[in-house]
Amino acid sequence: MGAMRVKQARRLTAGLLALATVLWNAAGQAADGKLVLYTSQPNRDAQQTIDAFKTKAPNVDVSFVRDGTTRLIAKLRAELAAGQSPADVLLIADSVTLEGLKKEGLLAPYAAADVARYPAGLHDPERTWFATKLITTGIVYHAKAPVKPQSWLDLLKPEARGQTVMPSPLVSGAALIHAATLTGNLPGGWAYYEGLKANGAVAAAGNGDVLKQVAGGEKLYGMIVDFMPIREKAKGAPVEFVFPVEGVSAIGEPVAILKSSRNPAAAAAFVDFLLSTAGQQLALAQGYIPADPAVALPPGFPPRGSIKIMPFDAARALAEEAANKKRFSDIFGQ
Amino acid sequence: MTATALGQAPGPHETTRSFCDRELRWLALAVAAFVAFVALLPFLRLVLEAITRGGSLDLSGALRALSHPHVWQASLNTLEIGLASSVIALTLGATFAITLAIADVPAKRVLVLVFIWSLMIAPQVAALAFKTLLGPASPLLGAIGLAPPAGTPNPVVGKLGIIAVLGLHHAPLAAITLAPALARIPASVIDAARVDGAGPASVVLRIIVPLAAPALVAASLIVLLAGIGNFGIPALLGIPAGVLTLPTLIYRQLSSFGPSVIADTATLSLMTGSLAIVVALAATAAIGRVRTHVSSDATMQPFLELGRARGPIAVALWLLIAVSAIIPFLSLVATSLVPAYGMRLGFATLTFEAYQEVLARQKLTYRALRNSGLLAGAAAVLLAFAAVFVAYVIERRPRRWMPLLETTLELPYVLPGVVLAIACILLFLKPLPLIGISIYATPAIILFAYLARFLPVALKPVRATLANLARDCEEAAAVDGARLWQRLVRVVGPSVLPSVLAGGLLVFLLAFNELTVSALLWSAGTETLGVALLSLEDAGLATEAAALAVVTALIVAGLLIILDRLSRVLPRGTLPWDTLGR
Repeated sequence: MGAMRVKQARRLTAGLLALATVLWNAAGQAADGKLVLYTSQPNRDAQQTIDAFKTKAPNVDVSFVRDGTTRLIAKLRAELAAGQSPADVLLIADSVTLEGLKKEGLLAPYAAADVARYPAGLHDPERTWFATKLITTGIVYHAKAPVKPQSWLDLLKPEARGQTVMPSPLVSGAALIHAATLTGNLPGGWAYYEGLKANGAVAAAGNGDVLKQVAGGEKLYGMIVDFMPIREKAKGAPVEFVFPVEGVSAIGEPVAILKSSRNPAAAAAFVDFLLSTAGQQLALAQGYIPADPAVALPPGFPPRGSIKIMPFDAARALAEEAANKKRFSDIFGQ
Repeated sequence: MTATALGQAPGPHETTRSFCDRELRWLALAVAAFVAFVALLPFLRLVLEAITRGGSLDLSGALRALSHPHVWQASLNTLEIGLASSVIALTLGATFAITLAIADVPAKRVLVLVFIWSLMIAPQVAALAFKTLLGPASPLLGAIGLAPPAGTPNPVVGKLGIIAVLGLHHAPLAAITLAPALARIPASVIDAARVDGAGPASVVLRIIVPLAAPALVAASLIVLLAGIGNFGIPALLGIPAGVLTLPTLIYRQLSSFGPSVIADTATLSLMTGSLAIVVALAATAAIGRVRTHVSSDATMQPFLELGRARGPIAVALWLLIAVSAIIPFLSLVATSLVPAYGMRLGFATLTFEAYQEVLARQKLTYRALRNSGLLAGAAAVLLAFAAVFVAYVIERRPRRWMPLLETTLELPYVLPGVVLAIACILLFLKPLPLIGISIYATPAIILFAYLARFLPVALKPVRATLANLARDCEEAAAVDGARLWQRLVRVVGPSVLPSVLAGGLLVFLLAFNELTVSALLWSAGTETLGVALLSLEDAGLATEAAALAVVTALIVAGLLIILDRLSRVLPRGTLPWDTLGR
């Protein structure tokens, strides 16, 4: 009798909690299909992407959670540790993070994705993640800066003392890849970052914060992803972007479907949209370099072939991810 | 039935056996269980996590976590910032309260409301406002040509900025802690001094300050604790400069490294909490040593007729209000109207694009407004309801373990919010034992944290009313055979209803803007207003963040006006700022 009571109580509570969750989510729910996107795109861009997707799939109700890649994945892991996460699809900065998730068996392959137009090697051969754009990290400077930097090493010069800000790998996936790329290519490795610290550089949170500080004139130089300053300059902000002579680091802002997704059909439709011509045209309109080589580049960018991307060892970056974060944090106290 | 029912009425502090019936005993047990579950259990779980590793008692992990150089730097920063800001807050707040109490300053009510408003808008809104005010991109400074040149760092970002903004932000807190004590000072003492020829300065320094000494110590304790535990201001003004305090260090650890570091963050939280407890104990000991009892038949009235000094004093007070509230708010408004951050604001270029984006297009802010409203509303209703029972038990059934109960339920409010958040995560990360569902990524965990944190806020007004309520009616009803619930609903209820409402509204006001706890507990779909603001600011969307902050500040202003209207029908002293400059 007691056992049955416990069972009844359990069912009742589960039912009440489920009802509460349904009622909680009822406000704003459209027809069928709920899709939850975890993304590190800036809020405005994420909202535009979702709005464009909804014109193709009006029956899907999409909501998104936005945070820096590193923080977003930490949150995802916490939710999975608690038993389940509401996330269906990820659209984050870099593929190294997704490789890590793939190794843990958290991603679902999408074999039917249409990748015919894309060059080999751009997407995951096992079809668990797909690059949607090409985003590089270069140098931004304020229009009133006395020195126009042309090289990464210019940030170590006395003219840049105390005037440099960079995004932190503890928040931004792009910054994590950038640190791995620079330390793997510039002479001295991590000595470059130690030199930056000695020259008074600080680490902000994400790329948006870097843009704000440079556009606002609080710092004169920054490391930042390309589309932000190029886009803001067109709106009238006093910033300039430069691709340094040594080259830039690159990320693909890949999209991936989680194995624990509760709506894999809608998630697949979202991936299809991002890889389609319409999705790539949207990326162009938003000011990104689209992954599809047939689509043009936004105004303000040099020709695609002339962008020099530094070589990058993805496997090594994955293995050293935690160590790199800690090293950066130890240097910058951030 | 009872001795007291037959003869004299019991004094408010006399232990009485009058209501020693079974029902009240059960209610007391229920209240104790509720307080233990909501206020004690999370912290016990926290202590357990910090001192064990892998199931057995192991302090080495805790020691390792504490010996990291970042931790010591953050602890020093926390203490430094807490102490310095509390000095500023106490000085400004005490000056404000005393000036209002002794002088006939014009337009006191408006002055007080705006001053309180600067406290009630959340710390992160205040931090954002000051950040937009003084940087090279400041629209206000740019409009009058005083903007610093490009390349100068924002003076507000960094340790000094945090101290200044925290001090200004908490000055009203010191004032409202001091005000009731000032209001109780008897007029006779003041009159005697003035008859004897004492000037206003003498009266203040030699009579008012000593008589209000316990309240001054209490005020300094409160602002020190608030300064140690504050998250919003160091998050916006410290993290960009690499200045970390213990709350922001814990936040950064957990949000960047995930649940793998939860044990380390538990240790850090314990340390932060211990710091707060040591401070609280020291101040309580200091208060306990003071032995001044005042009986107030006729209490002090403003005696200082300013005459010609009226103008300058009023200007000085309004200057304080302007610097701490009005000018930063205007700067926020200006920032929300520029087309792109860094551009000059002019009548031709101003645009409401940011408001459109934030209120109409971004689903995040709509969700955040809805979540904050629902969570704050649910917490307010539940706590208002619970406060009646808890207050009734405390006031009507004094037992030796009552002080322990009172201290326990104050814990989640006194200790920094991050400590409570980590404790809740630890408690609710794994699925609950009987139900098998985890409430971690749901609104329920945030609601639990709000219930724990704001119970003392809802309780205070109700306790104050109940303490002064004569028991005659209840005793008469009990003699007549009324059950406990009948006494509560028919006799006690109507008398405490206004203060219950006030308590509920205060909880709503505080929970609506709350950031510290929800910054660590939010998940998909459960973002609160504070989290939305932080998210927009982190993403570098300065104009949108400013727009959201302006909307939040206006909502708080509206709620404050409602509370002010309500205070006309409430007994004096129900709202915390009633006695300020009456």
